[in-house]
Amino acid sequence: MNAIAARELLTVSILSHVAHVLQIEDLRRRFGALTALDHLTFEVPAGQVVGFLGPNGAGKTTAMRAIFGLTDLDAGTITWNGSVVGQKERRRFGYMPEERGLYPGMLVGEQLQYLGRLHGMTAIDASSATATWLDRLGIADRAGSKVEDLSHGNQQRVQLVAALLHGPELLVLDEPLAGLDPSGIDVIGEVLAEQARSGCCVLFSSHQLDQVEDLCESVVIIDNGHLVVAGRVDELASSGPRRLVVRVEGDRSASWAQGVAGVTVSEVTGGEVRLVLDASVDSDAVLELARGAGRVTKFVFERRRLSELFREAVK
Amino acid sequence: MKFVVIALAVVVVGTLRVGRRRRHRRTGASAARSVSSPFSSDVGLITAREVRERFRGRVFKVTTLFILLVVAAAIVIPVLHNGKAKPQEVGIVGMLSSSLRATVTSSAKSVDVTVHFVPESSVTKAKTDLHSSRINIAIVDGRELLVKSPLSSADNSSGAQLVRSVAENLGIAEAFQAAQLSPAQSETLKEAKALRITSVEGGKSKSGGGNASEATSIIGIILIFVMLSQYNTWTLIGVMEEKSSRVIEVLLSAVRPIQLLTGKVLGIGLVALAQASLIVAFALVLSKAVGSSLLHASAPLVVVSTLVWLVLGYAFYCWVYAAAGSMVERQDQVQSLVLPLSLPMIFGYIMALTGASSGSPSALLKVLAYLPPTAPFAMPVLVGFRAVTWWEFLGSAIISVVCTIGIARVAATVYRRAILRTGARVRLREVFNRTER
Repeated sequence: MNAIAARELLTVSILSHVAHVLQIEDLRRRFGALTALDHLTFEVPAGQVVGFLGPNGAGKTTAMRAIFGLTDLDAGTITWNGSVVGQKERRRFGYMPEERGLYPGMLVGEQLQYLGRLHGMTAIDASSATATWLDRLGIADRAGSKVEDLSHGNQQRVQLVAALLHGPELLVLDEPLAGLDPSGIDVIGEVLAEQARSGCCVLFSSHQLDQVEDLCESVVIIDNGHLVVAGRVDELASSGPRRLVVRVEGDRSASWAQGVAGVTVSEVTGGEVRLVLDASVDSDAVLELARGAGRVTKFVFERRRLSELFREAVK
Repeated sequence: MKFVVIALAVVVVGTLRVGRRRRHRRTGASAARSVSSPFSSDVGLITAREVRERFRGRVFKVTTLFILLVVAAAIVIPVLHNGKAKPQEVGIVGMLSSSLRATVTSSAKSVDVTVHFVPESSVTKAKTDLHSSRINIAIVDGRELLVKSPLSSADNSSGAQLVRSVAENLGIAEAFQAAQLSPAQSETLKEAKALRITSVEGGKSKSGGGNASEATSIIGIILIFVMLSQYNTWTLIGVMEEKSSRVIEVLLSAVRPIQLLTGKVLGIGLVALAQASLIVAFALVLSKAVGSSLLHASAPLVVVSTLVWLVLGYAFYCWVYAAAGSMVERQDQVQSLVLPLSLPMIFGYIMALTGASSGSPSALLKVLAYLPPTAPFAMPVLVGFRAVTWWEFLGSAIISVVCTIGIARVAATVYRRAILRTGARVRLREVFNRTER
């Protein structure tokens, strides 16, 4: 059994007794006239991938930087398993900042080992974990290359390894999907899910709410520095009024759905209309109206999207 | 060399204490105890990376080679120049006996030159040849010396030394002849040696070697200036690159700013010390091999003091440059910082060079030798002149170390507050004003 496997086994066995939790309580931070964090409170439990969502400028990066002491706070506390987060705790966290950063002229393998050792790994463990992760992400052959000689996507992968290498108990990734192709997104999704399964607390941010819906089990959505909504994606998506998606052949404006009592047009895209139905509305009556406009080729109930959830919450 | 090690140790311990105390204040005594080991091991890791990357870099190899070449040239060229000096042309008007010719030749040898005798048909012809510089001296009937222009007492050229030596020795020979001494008596007198001089107080003679140590201290000052400028630039650019490449956020998510800062300046400092030691060792070996007078007499003391002040100078300035590096993230922002930062160094350098060449230390130089920004330049000059006692030297070093600890604390605060602020150049006002942070 190699050192990594042993470490993971040990981590899992410890986790079976102690479930980690990161708690963010009442964070406040102003930059001059701008309020970046406004009484922000939420928590990241172990075993779940938590999406930290919100539009650009919502305060996601400031909150994540605060976890690592990279920005001063005006007020609020950040605790890890009940203790205020300090340097000792942060060494067990993994962080991928929004603005990616590595030493451009340093060799990939040496750089990762160095970062691993700064997180308290022994030289042997850091070396073996570097090899394992580079292999896992398909860039084992680039260990001897300089970071600046890698493609953008591969630099992203190295940056991800830098956050994962030391087997963190909390993984914080700021916009990890930015600039990635679909296969890159799949890899990130797999890694995050795997980390959560092994008992790690995983928090990742994105401003593209719908893109990450499948990647996370829970979400924390913020806007203008304060919490908008938080909870499990399944519960949030299935709660609230029914959503109906209807496609009528040849009809692109969905004018038939306008002005119907109890029916709100959420959006019209690509010939489909997304409707929000009040509890009193009979869906058969809506189907009849659609048929009146033309041949109905799609008529399905769907979950609430995160973007809809957000729009409704900030209304 | 012992001084260097002690000074380095003091600086290292001082800076580590700054970091420890800072952490102690923040996290309390128990936490401080539990992380004291990671602090030193993290700083060690950061230092080791810095040393490895610097040694590996092309800049280090090129600058080391360049400095070695310059030092080699400074040592070898004067020796070669002396060795290949053209013989002095000595015109002979009338008769010059073989014994007097031997006297002229040995006089020339005593001032490290060789002579070539040129027969001259008349005094007029000799004067013409002197005017046209075909000959350097003319000896008329072994009784009179003709030269082109009057000799000043300050003229120490080999030609002037030859004229003085020949005049003196031919004069003595003439006096021997006038006294009608036997050849044996003449020989006895020629072999007369000066009496042995014994000083009643200890210590080495101040004479004979003043020029050598002066030259050594000038070379030392130039080296200190070149190397301090180089290492300070490394520190500034190194800090700036960590900020501009954004690797700083990844690093600071694992270690404290003071650890990163200390590791960086220690790493560059160790590389600097290694480079300086290599250059000094190279200079010593080469001087010995080619027989240069550059490192004779009191010069070794100047070499040691130069090394000590290189370390102390680096320790003082590195914090300032690191703090400055944390306030910028682009080359164009660096330009506006470099000149004001380097002014104290340039001032100290010019004053020290002027002082070293003037022949005696001025009162201003003595004052500058106690101010940490200028002491690295001024103090080695005073050592070269033997114008400083060991306790004055030590006093200045202590002032420098104490100020370095103060500067390090301020620099650590600036670094911590500025390193994560990206975009425009960070102003000191913003760093110290809470509302603007």
